[in-house]
Amino acid sequence: MTKATQTLTLLVLTTGIWLTLLFEIVKVPAPLDQIVPTLPLWVIVSFGAYLLGTLGWNIFTFQDKEAAYHSLLKEIDEAKRDLKGRGVTID
Amino acid sequence: MAAKRSKSSGTGSSGGHKYSVILPTYNERSNLPIITYLIAKTFDDAGLAWEIVIVDDASPDGTQEIAEQLIKVYGGDRVQLRARAGKLGLGTAYMHGLKYATGDFVVIMDADFSHHPKYIPEFIRKQQEGDCDIVLGTRYAGDGGVYGWDFKRKLVSRGANLLSRVILRPNVTDVTGSFRLYKKAVLERVIQETKSKGYVFQMEMIVRARAAGYKIAEVPIAFVDRIYGDSKLGSDEITQYAKGVWSLFVSI
Repeated sequence: MTKATQTLTLLVLTTGIWLTLLFEIVKVPAPLDQIVPTLPLWVIVSFGAYLLGTLGWNIFTFQDKEAAYHSLLKEIDEAKRDLKGRGVTID
Repeated sequence: MAAKRSKSSGTGSSGGHKYSVILPTYNERSNLPIITYLIAKTFDDAGLAWEIVIVDDASPDGTQEIAEQLIKVYGGDRVQLRARAGKLGLGTAYMHGLKYATGDFVVIMDADFSHHPKYIPEFIRKQQEGDCDIVLGTRYAGDGGVYGWDFKRKLVSRGANLLSRVILRPNVTDVTGSFRLYKKAVLERVIQETKSKGYVFQMEMIVRARAAGYKIAEVPIAFVDRIYGDSKLGSDEITQYAKGVWSLFVSI
């Protein structure tokens, strides 16, 4: 099963369940039955909010590795010295 | 010039395991000797058996000349040069290198210092802890991070990563990272089926590996981007990436 098939199957299943609630094949007590028609929109908006929120948080907490950069520069110098001494051409 | 006496006891130490680093190169004349030095130092300090397989795509800048010098310094059993006729792509470069790799583990990494060899012993430790098939370096979890990205770059990279994670659900935190340790047999198997190029290539490998049920672990790494010059990510690459995600979505 590809990811596409999996996703599609899940979508069909959840839509099916929602439709049975919507057409009252399975009855939902009031006032919950007022919410049923709005559920798809609610899911989409929540998912969108989750994505944006996660993305925002990930960027906000992104670690800048300045120290790694500086220590790397030092190591590059060390490497250049060592290799020049052993006859390797360093440009 | 005599080669420096290494601290490891030879090619058979470290519990019988040997680590082959495959380095695809194109115009890496300046970087190659230094990255080789860093790799050699890391492995020797850790007492591990290692080798580097340089796969050069007929670089016009004389990268191969430098590779030959490095072979003289470190020995032909430590450094190999396996040249190719032209710029033939990353996937096939790895496949070519794999033919000559004599280790039972393979490390793939970039030759431009964005990946620091110092993380390799951590990868190895992680691999041994859980007998993992693949250990990947992640920029986006734990203590991972990047030096040299502006806001726009961070936005695009994390956005693309999030998109892939949601759609393809590979259950890793960094889908396009190219600093990874593989069991040689696992890499051979996964790479056979992988067809994409560029960023999508690395993503396809990990998605296929996950689908095949391989055990994958992660180690946070610091990624130092473009130590010489600017990091550019064009809209062309972004479109290619989106297309790549879609094609993986419908095929794996």
